[in-house]
Amino acid sequence: MMNDTKKDLKNRINHIEDVLASVAAGDMEARINSEIEDDLSGIEAAIDLLIEDLTDELKKREVMQREVEDKLAKIQEQQKTILQQQQDLLELSSPVSKVWDNVLILPVIGTLDSQRTQVMMENLLEKIVETGCTVAILDITGVPTVDTQVANHLLKTVTSARLLGAECIISGISPAIAQTIVHLGIDLSSIRTKATLQDAMIFAMKQNKRSEDSRPHSRFADADEKNE
Amino acid sequence: MFEQTTDKNWSLLDKQVLETEYDIVRIRQLIRSHAKGIQMGIVDQTRITTAVSELLRNMYNYANGGEVQIETGPVEGKMALIITCSDHGPGIENLEMAMSDGYTTGMGLGYGLPGAKRLVDKFEIETQKDKGTTVRLIKWR
Ligand SMILES: Nc1ncnc2c1ncn2[C@@H]1O[C@H](COP(=O)(O)OP(=O)(O)OP(=O)(O)O)[C@@H](O)[C@H]1O
Ligand SMILES: [Mg+2]
Repeated sequence: MMNDTKKDLKNRINHIEDVLASVAAGDMEARINSEIEDDLSGIEAAIDLLIEDLTDELKKREVMQREVEDKLAKIQEQQKTILQQQQDLLELSSPVSKVWDNVLILPVIGTLDSQRTQVMMENLLEKIVETGCTVAILDITGVPTVDTQVANHLLKTVTSARLLGAECIISGISPAIAQTIVHLGIDLSSIRTKATLQDAMIFAMKQNKRSEDSRPHSRFADADEKNE
Repeated sequence: MFEQTTDKNWSLLDKQVLETEYDIVRIRQLIRSHAKGIQMGIVDQTRITTAVSELLRNMYNYANGGEVQIETGPVEGKMALIITCSDHGPGIENLEMAMSDGYTTGMGLGYGLPGAKRLVDKFEIETQKDKGTTVRLIKWR
């Protein structure tokens, strides 16, 4: 009799161990489900409850994790869109157009970071080749800060354009920016500049007319009277 | 650091971290608005913003980013805007050369540092090999 009870007890403890092992291995369905009522059944019931709680927690965590992953995916999607839009904006913000026979105009707007300047420069040079225009106006009225890097980019653009046979005029340098450029020490004297876009356009038209009158001479026959 | 021009009476207006190229634009806009905020004229706003732009670009190009502190307060008895840019980059190898017009180790014009100095009222720089560089710009209002 005593032996039987002992054997029962041993079986029940083994069962508890099995269930715990199953749970530890990830089987959240395992339960002790004891039907006997005695001193041990309290512990058995408590273990079952614990497993129940643990299962709930795990489920909640899974749901949360899925939510986080969903959100992350959405954010990544949005980031892609933003990048795409930035790319589009890059193209849009450097619209080179032919405003007059032989004259290209490029309004530069906003802040010139190195990427944008690159796009701007490429667009302009392509357009010069495509149209054969020999005058290009770069209007920087919309550029709030001209530092050495922007100036360097402008110089490079003007030099490249010149190699392709087009002369650049930079317009829209505000008095404050003009003073700042002088203090920075940058020499822009190799570039033809005009205070306003209007001045630049009038100049370009005169230039055009003059070169029409004096064909087949260079359209920039008076290139030596730069920076008056 | 910068013993003579550090004053406990300065008030901190802003502190910013520079990591991306976009931060250069963002911080520059902040500088301009703070300069405007203490009633600087348009020419001085443009000067201090451009000077800071040079330092930001240098931190971005040569030091992998850095930190900017914007303060206002008295310097030698006059109200000023004080901008301190610090980085933990490689330091400037030859400071004397770097401060002279046309010196660049990259592809720049080499006018950033000397140009920035000419654009402000006081310019202080401290650099240490492998420790980093700190530049302080002071512009009186
Ligand atoms: N924060 C810095 N950390 C390390 N080196 C720097 C830092 N700032 C400047 N330098 C060094 O000093 C040199 C001169 O800087 P400066 O800003 O005058 O010219 P640049 O950046 O080369 O060209 P620019 O500013 O005209 O585009 C740089 O080429 C670089 O080697
Ligand atoms: Mg520089």
